[in-house]
Amino acid sequence: MSDQIMKASTSGEAVSAQVQVAGRAAEREKVVAITLWRRFLSSSMTGLIYLFLAVMTIFALFPIYYVIQASLAGGQNLYTTDLKLLPANPTIDNYIYVLTQLPLLNWIANTFFICSMTTIIGLVFSVSGAYALSRFRLRGREIGLNLLLAIQAFPGLLALTAYYVLLNKLGLLNSLVGLVVIYAGGSLVFGTWNMKGYFDTLPVELEQAALIDGATTTQAFLRVTLPLAAPALAASALFMFIGGWNEYALANLVLNSNATGSNLTFVLGLFALQGDFRTPWGYFAASSVVISVPLILLFLYAQRFFQSGLTIGSVKG
Amino acid sequence: MLKVSRWTITAYLAPMIITIALVSGTPILYTLYLSLTNLTFFNDDYTLRGLGNYQKLFFAADSDLLYVLGQTVLYVVICVGLFLVVGMLTALALNNRKIKGLAFWRVALLVPWAAPSAITALIWKFLFNYDFGPINQIGRVFFGHNFGVPWVTSPWWAFTAVVIVNVWLTYPFFTVVILGALQSVPAELNEAAAVDGANAWQRFLNVTLPLVRPAITPATILSAITTFQMFNTVFLITSGGPTPNPAKPGFTEFVMIYMYNRILGATVANPHYGAIAAFAIMVFIILGALTFFARSLGQQRSRRKEALA
Repeated sequence: MSDQIMKASTSGEAVSAQVQVAGRAAEREKVVAITLWRRFLSSSMTGLIYLFLAVMTIFALFPIYYVIQASLAGGQNLYTTDLKLLPANPTIDNYIYVLTQLPLLNWIANTFFICSMTTIIGLVFSVSGAYALSRFRLRGREIGLNLLLAIQAFPGLLALTAYYVLLNKLGLLNSLVGLVVIYAGGSLVFGTWNMKGYFDTLPVELEQAALIDGATTTQAFLRVTLPLAAPALAASALFMFIGGWNEYALANLVLNSNATGSNLTFVLGLFALQGDFRTPWGYFAASSVVISVPLILLFLYAQRFFQSGLTIGSVKG
Repeated sequence: MLKVSRWTITAYLAPMIITIALVSGTPILYTLYLSLTNLTFFNDDYTLRGLGNYQKLFFAADSDLLYVLGQTVLYVVICVGLFLVVGMLTALALNNRKIKGLAFWRVALLVPWAAPSAITALIWKFLFNYDFGPINQIGRVFFGHNFGVPWVTSPWWAFTAVVIVNVWLTYPFFTVVILGALQSVPAELNEAAAVDGANAWQRFLNVTLPLVRPAITPATILSAITTFQMFNTVFLITSGGPTPNPAKPGFTEFVMIYMYNRILGATVANPHYGAIAAFAIMVFIILGALTFFARSLGQQRSRRKEALA
């Protein structure tokens, strides 16, 4: 009797053990299936990411690519309603034309002049002002800073009439210097804020040490602080330069095209080129390549340097 | 603080203050003054009229203020939303360790930021050209010879076009900002959440997003402000048009373009400088409020950081 019970119970145990083994196997299969499913998901996810990156890259590069290939398509090849992504007979005729027949080089020179003068004036004035705001004991510092911020909120475009009157009084209408004055004034607020933020992060003890060693305030500023602020200087300079680079409305207000259009900036010149009854797309494309491709390369090379300068300056802002 | 003579302080500050006062200060005050007058192109002996221009701006039945502001705000909301989505997706993709060739993707995706924006706006105008632009040409490959999207001439298509161009120009900035924030999120946090059974979406929503939000908020407000005062890109492509209702401003005539067209536009015979100045002052107040709001957010953040540290 007891034997039988023993047997029964052992066989019962055996059965339950068997069931357990079978259950474990099923579970293991399930785990394997889930892992496989996850692996499939994550690899298809990776595939999706590659697809997304590829689509975004086409979106990002297509305009540049298209204009480059269009600049190489000579003559009337662009006036077709069918898609052409490669020029049939590539030629540099468009480039020769825009460099010799259009005042493209004048436009570039004018723009370079305006932007570099803006940057120099803007940097010198804003750096010395920012240094004073960061280091000297001043009454009304907070009010001054808030006032600067309020002025920053006023885009120059809102005061077209006022600028016209102002430049008229100064005798600077239709001159590149007039544009420099407006752009430099506009860039000062941003430059001052950015540089002040950066100066605030540098310890004042460095200058105090220099002063104890017998340096004047100006020497301490120029020899000690300024070199340390190089990243922020580079960032401010770049933004001041680019600000004037892309500007259309004020430039159009100040500059009146002469007979050949050689006194314009390149944005004005290119826009005028597009405004013709039948836009010469080939010349337009070649001009934009001449202007933008060197800049793109320069910017991509420089961006790693100025990113740190801008963020550090603005965190404290 | 350094102790220096009053003379030194003046010498350091004067060039900046004088230039700003001349170039930014006087135009603001002059605009404020103009907004209180009835100066027009033909009305030389104008007089102060008090707040009449503002009254008209707000209460006149044919005032353009609401329409222009409405179109502009719609543009800002759509653009900034897309900046965030596209910037976040590209940043997440670039932050994925399984992706190879990161250096290439990174540089390729930054190109729109590197190109001079005025030139690229004109290039996009070329791409949108009805007959000869490649976008419609691609459409013709798929949908036959009569296909053509009326970019620039149909209101909503023009709106779409300037949204596309703005997203193209601005998403790289968001990619860089968000990627920087993502890289500072410790990987252990995500791994811990994964061990606790959170799926990828839950991890993104509850771990990653709260940690990168402080970096995204200032960028969002900043780009909302710049989009609000966007002039170049939109003007160079549509000049503010098209104008489905001749009594109203153009469909893409956002605030800056509206003001520019009212003063220098080809169709304006008698610019009403006083009324435009009142409009400008209103825009200035809006932008000023946004700027100070953004700044107070930033200050709160840095104070919280200091409290934590």
